[in-house]
Amino acid sequence: MKLPETQVAVLEAASADDPRTVESTADETGEPEPSVTGAAFSLEEEGLLAVEETTETDIYLTSEGESYAFEGLPEHTLWATALSLDADERPVDLGRVLAMTTLDDDATDIALANFARKGMGEIDDGGVSVDPDYDLDADPEKRHLDALDEADDGADPADFDADVVERLQGRSLVEEAERTVRRVTLTEAGVTALMEGVEVAETVDQVTPGLVTSGEWAEVEYADYNVEADAEAVYGGRQHPLRGMAERVKDVLVGMGFQEMQGPHVDADFYINDCLFMPQDHPARTHWDRFALEAPAKIDTEDLPADLVEAVERAHREGVGPDGEGYHSPWDEEFARALALRGHTTSLSVRHLAGLADADLEPPERYFSIEKGYRNDTLDATHLLEFFQIEGWVMADDLSVRDLMGTFTEFYEQFGITDIEFKPHYNPYTEPSFELFGRHPETGELIEIGNSGIFRPEMLNPLGVEADVMAWGLALERLYMLVTGAEDIRDVHGTLADLEFLRTEEVTY
Amino acid sequence: MPTVEVDPDELRELTGHGDRSDEDLREDLFALGIEYEGETDDGAFELEFAPDRLDRLSVEGIARSLRYQYGDDRGVYMPAVNDPEWTIHVDGDVPADRPYVTGAVVRGLDLDEDSLESLIQLQEKLHATMGRERVKGAIGIHDLTMLKGAAATTEEPTEAELDDARVETAASGGKSIRYTGIGKVDDRFVPLDSDKEMTPVEVLNQTETGRKYAPFVSAYDRMPAIYDDVGLFSFPPVINGKRTEVSADSRDLFIEMTGTDQWTIDHMLTIVCYALDARGGRVEEVEVTYADDAVGEDASATLVRPDLTTRTKTAAHADIESMLGIDLDGEEVVDLAERAGLNATRADADGTSVASADTGDDGLAYEVEIPPYRVDVLHPVDVVDDIGRAFGFNDLGPRYPDVSTVGGRHERSRLERATRETLVGLGFQDLLNFHLIGRTENFNRLNVDPGTDVLGGGEPAAIKEPYSEAFEVVRTWALPSLLRVLENNTHRSYPQDLSEVGFVAERDDDVETKVAERRSVAAVLARNDASYEDAKARLRAVCRTFDADLETPPTDHPSFIDGRTAEVVIDGESAGVIGELHPEVLVEHDLELPVAALEFDLDALR
Repeated sequence: MKLPETQVAVLEAASADDPRTVESTADETGEPEPSVTGAAFSLEEEGLLAVEETTETDIYLTSEGESYAFEGLPEHTLWATALSLDADERPVDLGRVLAMTTLDDDATDIALANFARKGMGEIDDGGVSVDPDYDLDADPEKRHLDALDEADDGADPADFDADVVERLQGRSLVEEAERTVRRVTLTEAGVTALMEGVEVAETVDQVTPGLVTSGEWAEVEYADYNVEADAEAVYGGRQHPLRGMAERVKDVLVGMGFQEMQGPHVDADFYINDCLFMPQDHPARTHWDRFALEAPAKIDTEDLPADLVEAVERAHREGVGPDGEGYHSPWDEEFARALALRGHTTSLSVRHLAGLADADLEPPERYFSIEKGYRNDTLDATHLLEFFQIEGWVMADDLSVRDLMGTFTEFYEQFGITDIEFKPHYNPYTEPSFELFGRHPETGELIEIGNSGIFRPEMLNPLGVEADVMAWGLALERLYMLVTGAEDIRDVHGTLADLEFLRTEEVTY
Repeated sequence: MPTVEVDPDELRELTGHGDRSDEDLREDLFALGIEYEGETDDGAFELEFAPDRLDRLSVEGIARSLRYQYGDDRGVYMPAVNDPEWTIHVDGDVPADRPYVTGAVVRGLDLDEDSLESLIQLQEKLHATMGRERVKGAIGIHDLTMLKGAAATTEEPTEAELDDARVETAASGGKSIRYTGIGKVDDRFVPLDSDKEMTPVEVLNQTETGRKYAPFVSAYDRMPAIYDDVGLFSFPPVINGKRTEVSADSRDLFIEMTGTDQWTIDHMLTIVCYALDARGGRVEEVEVTYADDAVGEDASATLVRPDLTTRTKTAAHADIESMLGIDLDGEEVVDLAERAGLNATRADADGTSVASADTGDDGLAYEVEIPPYRVDVLHPVDVVDDIGRAFGFNDLGPRYPDVSTVGGRHERSRLERATRETLVGLGFQDLLNFHLIGRTENFNRLNVDPGTDVLGGGEPAAIKEPYSEAFEVVRTWALPSLLRVLENNTHRSYPQDLSEVGFVAERDDDVETKVAERRSVAAVLARNDASYEDAKARLRAVCRTFDADLETPPTDHPSFIDGRTAEVVIDGESAGVIGELHPEVLVEHDLELPVAALEFDLDALR
């Protein structure tokens, strides 16, 4: 019979009439215990060995027990300190005794309780007197602690006085632990096999094509691997976490019936601001947080649709409708032709609503984009110069504020954000306008999650839109941070990215 | 967004609700859309709100809004106004860049330090918002008792008087001051916070306030100047004179405002008058007479200010119901409008006919009267918003719109996703880098010159005022970003196989926006044994996935090693470059191992 090397050793070490523990077998064969256990079970399957399992209880010192074994029991400390102050002759103030020890409040309580129980002396009216004849070394609790301290791997409770052990357990100085002990005995088949002779089978490390095709695989044993050992770190390709978030939001919006928009990142102020009914002297348009281009600087006049320019200028100057009022601000076509990196992606909505991107739109329509906006902000943990704006709008006849609320409630619920509140707000291009607040999925805080509203007639009328359009926007990075708990946006987006983060960040879905 | 500091005790006093705790007030303010940002050292609330309701830039204005919210006030409030005693004459010398003036007198104030501070804050906040940092409108507030008005005259000043702005005009009846323009060194006065007489140019050069406003005031043809009988007392929009300085003891104030737009300064004045009325002041009109040769639209006109007249908007009942998504009856609408501080009259109640286009199907509409401080109301839709706020938007139940549409992704977005998935499947870590980059990063560090005919060599779209040298232009190609990531991760384990499908752009005058925007596919293989073949094997796999033919004829590119560089030709079209990066580029990026790289136009895979 051919058996693997370990099994042969275990079989040879076993006896038919004297059950041997795995532990002793391991000592005898020089094989590690887990290998011996594995081999014993394999041999049991073969019918060559019987394995008997019993559960045994050991007792151990707790960490508190260990420290008392080292430092002495607190009541001993109290006794010895008091004695050094001649408390055998007259009571010594307890406070004075304790001041000389390192006993903390808990240990002091323990010391006082046991001091009295063991009759080591008396404590009366804050004074300590000790029995000088008390023999610390004769204290059975101390002797047990010392003995258990020597038995590192636990001790058999049968070797100790059960009453003392129980008391020490009561003091949480000793604890019990169970362990499984396996004993092996040769079966008759095992005895027979040994008498007929057992050989060590050939083992192989690597399964090779030759081994498989030659049929030799049937003759060999396979060397055990340490299957618990770490394997090398492999980093496969992964989608960028923020990209993954964008894809997830796109899935949600497409599922809600939204079509995706794309369009120019560099665009004329006309589309970025004027078409949004932003007055030309609005601080945001001259403010430094805008990324105006030095070169190229302006779009050509002939590239702006003349009728649209005229309609937008009229809306700015005169307003829209019989009761409309315009802004009391200058309006200049040349100013509108300035090129900039768009500060928001509502410029895409403008181009679509004006029929410049696709064909003219007829209600109902739903559109979205998850594209970059650019803002000359101060770089910090929550601000980058570039951010992905989630922009969405719905065009339909007769949309109400309630439709807007219903749409956003549905959208945010997909990301675990609930209890949406609508704080009335102001945007030059929407009325009514709302800042959106919602309940954070983890912390439960009320947090700002977006800006929304119904586009003003002064914006829609020049674009030739007669239906109602409601719109909202928020930064994808903000949604990402809310959903994942990420705290510094610089880790997530851009060239400062740490590959370790990209390789190990938990995937969200 | 504007912030104002408001003492909660003053709010309690002005609203007459002494029982509201700080916590109550914060909730009441939030309901108005005013956010509590924190507290100052002396316990004032720092409040932030959107820049539409500029009448709330003062504690008095916020208190008025709260009183409407509490239901203490209803409908439009109009302050009582006395007839004018004072006149502002505007003569032909007024600077062409700042032709307009307005004014009002407020008497009988009992100011203390707190209310004076509040008035100064309102002035500053109006400058920052409607006044566009004083360019469009600037406010000067003076102690009336210190002004000596020349008796007003109905006669025009003589030519000689107009030539010399320092000569006061004669007067009969009321009192007058004069808004005019003078040369930079024509006259002197003692400005606020100084003890020294200065000419306008000295103010611009020597005082802190002067230096702040010098950039646009210096460009004026003449220096704006306001005179009373004593002489020059205000140099708008820069600084007032010390003579007429307002203190907590001032009881009567003269308020003047100059600017580039009459409507704007008139409305800034209205907001200030409402605030001082709430402080117990009595507003008195001022006449503004523009000379025939005055610059601007108001020449020859006589205006009486403040202009406290209401405007009217017609709001259709059907539009209100449609916008809010609920049914309301006429009484409710009128009630809600009054709670918002407006007056609404049913246009059908007394038989008034209203243009049918405005009234919707059932013809019911409201004539809504808007108080003059509401500079934000431009259209009936703003009235509907006010009615919605008074109703409480959060009391409207959300409802998913019964509108069916078909969703879908943009074709390019699908292509980008398919390409990224292919690259990730080949073991690349997907990256997401900035589109803005430094010129050095984009060009020099990869040995590429702008304006050359190689991949990445396009002329970049350049930012006028970059945040820093790291973000000067829009990247013309993506490999520089990938190399930055490699450079920042030399302490991480290799291999580092990185890819990005991302935005790149370069100037192109043939395009509408003068910038050609593309999506680029870029990848790097950084490993001990990286070679051209590794990169090409992966490029082949990508092309095979998209059923595209790949050819790689030899080429050269300044970022790559000659002889190990090929043009990426996909389906017969030149699309990019592939090769081993030149060691000079590697060393420049602190890399200590070979890098094979490729970049090509995403559209080639279509």
